[in-house]
Amino acid sequence: MTSTRYYTKRLGQSVVTVFAVVTLSFVLIRLMPGGPVDYLRAQYIQQNLSPEEVQEKIALYTNIRTDETILEQYVGYMTSLAQFDLGRSIFYDRSVSAILGEAIPWTVLYMSIALCLMFVIGVSLGAFMAYREGSYFDTLSTLTAIVANSVPYYIAAILLVYALGFELSVLPTSGRMNPDTVVGMNVQFVLGVFAHAALPVLSLVVTGFGGKAITMRGNAISELGEDYLRVARLRGLSERRIALRYVARNAILPMYTGMMISIGTMFGGSVILEMIFAYPGVGYYVFKSISARDYPLMMGGFILITVAVVIGVLIADLTYGKLDPRAGGESDEAF
Amino acid sequence: MKRSEEPAADGGTPEPTSPFQRVADEDVGSGQRFRQAVDLWLLAPARIIWSDWRARIGTLIILLFLAMGTVGPMVTREPSPNTGPRLLKPFENVQYLLGTDPKGQGILVSIVHATPPMLQMILGGAVFTIAVATVVGIVAGYKAGWTETVLMTITDIMMTIPGLPLIIVVAAIVRPESPFVVGVLISINAWAGLARAVRSQVLTLRNAPYVEASRTMGLGVPSILTRDVLPNLMPYILVNFVGAARGVIFGSVGLYFLGVLPFSNLNWGVMITRAYNSGALYSGRIRHWLFVPLFTVILLSFGLILFAQGCDRLFNPRVRARHSTTLDEEDVETEPEDGQVTATVDQP
Amino acid sequence: MARTDISDDPMASSQTTVPTTTDPILELRGVDVTFDMDRGQSRVIDDVNIDVQRQEILGVVGESGSGKSMFASALLDAVVNPGTLSGEVTYRPDPDTDIDVLDLSDSDLKRLRWEEISMVFQGAQSSFNPTLSVRGHFTETLKAHDYDVAEGLERARELLEDLYLDPDRILDSYAHELSGGMQQRALIALSLVLEPNVLVMDEPTAALDLLMQRSILSLLNELQDKYDLTVVFITHDLPLVAGLADRLAVMYAFQFAEVGPAREVVLDAAHPYTRALLRSVPNLDIPLEEMQAIEGSAPDPVDAPEGCSYHPRCPLATEECRIEDPPFETVETGHYAACYHHESTAKAVPFDIEDHAPEATEEWP
Repeated sequence: MTSTRYYTKRLGQSVVTVFAVVTLSFVLIRLMPGGPVDYLRAQYIQQNLSPEEVQEKIALYTNIRTDETILEQYVGYMTSLAQFDLGRSIFYDRSVSAILGEAIPWTVLYMSIALCLMFVIGVSLGAFMAYREGSYFDTLSTLTAIVANSVPYYIAAILLVYALGFELSVLPTSGRMNPDTVVGMNVQFVLGVFAHAALPVLSLVVTGFGGKAITMRGNAISELGEDYLRVARLRGLSERRIALRYVARNAILPMYTGMMISIGTMFGGSVILEMIFAYPGVGYYVFKSISARDYPLMMGGFILITVAVVIGVLIADLTYGKLDPRAGGESDEAF
Repeated sequence: MKRSEEPAADGGTPEPTSPFQRVADEDVGSGQRFRQAVDLWLLAPARIIWSDWRARIGTLIILLFLAMGTVGPMVTREPSPNTGPRLLKPFENVQYLLGTDPKGQGILVSIVHATPPMLQMILGGAVFTIAVATVVGIVAGYKAGWTETVLMTITDIMMTIPGLPLIIVVAAIVRPESPFVVGVLISINAWAGLARAVRSQVLTLRNAPYVEASRTMGLGVPSILTRDVLPNLMPYILVNFVGAARGVIFGSVGLYFLGVLPFSNLNWGVMITRAYNSGALYSGRIRHWLFVPLFTVILLSFGLILFAQGCDRLFNPRVRARHSTTLDEEDVETEPEDGQVTATVDQP
Repeated sequence: MARTDISDDPMASSQTTVPTTTDPILELRGVDVTFDMDRGQSRVIDDVNIDVQRQEILGVVGESGSGKSMFASALLDAVVNPGTLSGEVTYRPDPDTDIDVLDLSDSDLKRLRWEEISMVFQGAQSSFNPTLSVRGHFTETLKAHDYDVAEGLERARELLEDLYLDPDRILDSYAHELSGGMQQRALIALSLVLEPNVLVMDEPTAALDLLMQRSILSLLNELQDKYDLTVVFITHDLPLVAGLADRLAVMYAFQFAEVGPAREVVLDAAHPYTRALLRSVPNLDIPLEEMQAIEGSAPDPVDAPEGCSYHPRCPLATEECRIEDPPFETVETGHYAACYHHESTAKAVPFDIEDHAPEATEEWP
């Protein structure tokens, strides 16, 4: 009974959060200097169109209806949003849901590969470091992890583009697939997709595993010092069971919420990376839309990012109690 | 096994529940706590920090950058265009140790003169993060009811807002010029996670015996918060200050790189962007123009992380307990008491 | 591995009197536990000789820092790294079988622990994995020792019932969901699930309130009768264990100072330290000023004093005590004290049990 109430409450909170963020974004976006019309005019003038042509083109976009008050625009937007209508992109002249729907899989592809690798490498390295605490391996790994963690992912991206893309020319540095392949389940296409995802994935993994490893190491070290571990050894449990069911599980638990949230933040974190690699995913379109003051696309991107984070946090909150018996229902320590 | 659970049986007194001892436990006054505080937060950390190699290297790197940001601009001349040879490579000329950019400005002096704004940015952002997070976290943790609900809802919303994209939008609105403002802007939602963490620490502290004692004695909420709660959070907050500083560096350089912040002053991020956009990655002649600021950013955040790691080891009782030798937990410690029943064992 | 002849024990030939018993289930001879520390070698168990009699309750009493927890670990060869255990620990599952505990292979040692000699720690909550149910602890222990799980869980239920717990509720709980007393009893049940002969308890009641301490002690008595257990009960609380134990062994500075039948040790203590210890037991019936703390402090394990380790604090100390460590001397049959002056302690350290632990005497008619 109480758990149903808890779920309902959390769900309600999430809806309120999304609503608040959408409203906030809506207002902030309209406060930005310049509007879509200014941007388009500048673009067309750069294309050496005559003033008449510019005027004509811009007239096509009168449906932006910038003459309405912000409140009217807001009510209008929220009404269409309630019908799952994100509107039409001004710059790309396509429906926002189509643009984002097409971009989402690409971002999810490289981001999920990167997150998986980051956690697997970080957690296993951290556990080994904890078991060998104080050894040369530990010291060296700690140093490596800290160095890796000191590099912003976009700097790693630049360095990797230089090393692997330019000097060695082994990996493509921009785009998301080979242009001359046929989209579908054929070997060339799939290989091309993975080759294009390789550098973004590497940039994230190389800079991200260190932090996870250090956290895991700390957690595992304090697990190894627990009294119940000593009792477990006396009870004759195998080292394997102690390592998996005691040390690893209890050390990973505090990291679980962070993992779930970072799945949620993958879209928000993709902006700089996708600009460097000219990788048309969610972050790429979000940045383009901000530069072009493309209100509908911007809003669509923000809503997508927010909803993803909210869902990530929600899943983390709702499942943590099942994984850790100590967290009864409302988990304050989940964050 | 744990010392804390074992009633202190000191100096040959096998019975721990003596009436004396209970008196002693309640009588830990503010004077003693203050002395303990000075030792715990100033002297002991300084000693231990120096004994940990990570914290030691981290401190040295941070001091280097502090010197670069304060003394540096005084002893070097501010770079101006067309005053030196163009595109010198690093280590070719002693006067331009790290080479020059296409405008003939020394790269090393550019880095040095870009340090003060960077430090101001870090200071602005980290102070903002810590201040907001601490206030929100402590108040929400200590005052139940509506205050807590409202603060936590705001915190949840801040945690969920699409961070970087929204910062880009706000940057376009306010066009921040002052490094302090840039720092605050980048940290606009960084405080939320920390506020939550502070709150859950406060929730545990709220039930600590001495806080309860203060409440029984009729002390008001503000004095309990400043006297009992805040001091216990300081180490945690310090470690997070360093984390926030790293966030500001990563964020600001990233935003300059995207070109969404105004290029108003010398800045490592601006140097990186200019070099990158000039194709420095693909041209050996100007590559050093890109790589020097890149590695400067890495070096500073490396120093900060090393420092935070050393501090964390120092402040995190879970980590520290394991490092304070296995002997202590094994009933081997020698106790300094003189055998008086009233003596209590201070937790080291 | 098994020794048949114990009569030519090397220690027996020396002038040291070893506090022996008639049918020891555990026999410790010349046992040392040392740690190498920066400032020198720390000797936390120093040449300990003692027997544990089959099916007795042996109370080991010592202040914190006296090495009593190390003594507990030594019985199971479970001294934690980087400590090293040396000497001889002999386990006799029956009077004719000798097992040299320190010479066991890993798999034999695993069998010895928990199947033969089991252990209960202070702070029951920290002895349980917080993310594993109590049932999980029983199951994994049974599996690790290749016991039949269903049969073992039946035994666990019986043990829990013996300890006045509701088996279903306890087994389905996690440690943090139980009260301190319940955790401690569940831990006792866990320690007995493989039917060991010896149960070593290290401060098992220190974290509990007085009422719960009492009830656990009486349960312990019942369990000992029902399962023919030998119990080594380690505590800092002399009055607590005095009524429970058959024999008492008082530890001071990493060695035993006095060993003997509980009643004799309490009523007629022969070692000055034991007497001082008894005298320092607080009693609300006597004025505070008559309560005596023991002057001085316990010795450092790295830098133990020459001679008798108690001499700096002892009112009877003579030149002899400062030079040579006193061996055990027989006070009465089965009652030993490591003191040159055990005959004169009663006069030098006056102490009347009536004033200090009236309840202790009640239990002896």
